[in-house]
Amino acid sequence: MRSHLFHMLIFAGLLSAYFAVLLRDEKRERIRFGLFLWGGLVGGALVLAFLMAP
Amino acid sequence: MTEPEGNGADRGVRRTLLSVFLGWLVPGLGHVFLGRVRRGVFFGLLLWASFGFGLAHDARLSLRDDKQPLLTGLQVVANLGMGPIDPIVRLFVYGEVTYSMKGGDKAVQRVETFRARERSPLSIYGTAYVWTAGLMNLLLLFDLWDIGRGRRGDA
Repeated sequence: MRSHLFHMLIFAGLLSAYFAVLLRDEKRERIRFGLFLWGGLVGGALVLAFLMAP
Repeated sequence: MTEPEGNGADRGVRRTLLSVFLGWLVPGLGHVFLGRVRRGVFFGLLLWASFGFGLAHDARLSLRDDKQPLLTGLQVVANLGMGPIDPIVRLFVYGEVTYSMKGGDKAVQRVETFRARERSPLSIYGTAYVWTAGLMNLLLLFDLWDIGRGRRGDA
């Protein structure tokens, strides 16, 4: 699989799940934090990509 | 007869250190040893999946290079974070357990193998997954220490 986007989504998911479980104790908090992190990673990368090559 | 107070504390530290060692030996096992089974299984699956996915994408198994000792040394540390599976995989990839570009009879062949994997278009992805798996496991060792010393809740 050579899609940058695919790997970015998977990699962000991996990191988000890891840090959500590592840093939050409640199930609800984990889901919220995980989604926030995933959105931040993916959104941040897309914004950065747009700024570098608009 | 009551035991001296120090013995209980020493046993606690020894148990925690054992869990840290087990966590490095087999990612996830340290948490299971401390009774955090679900946490251990979750992290174990996550890390093994990342590691396996990385290897399937031609991950670079870093070798220490004298031209960039710090950077390549840190890369080796990231690889070693996954525990003994790293030297086992090296045995299959390089035909020997090695961590340096130089030395040994197979140095030329080793560097060729390393460069070939590096040239693979998938290598950048695979390497990221494998290094991340190792680094995540190293971070989990601190989590094990905190759990073992009673600095974390029951979650």
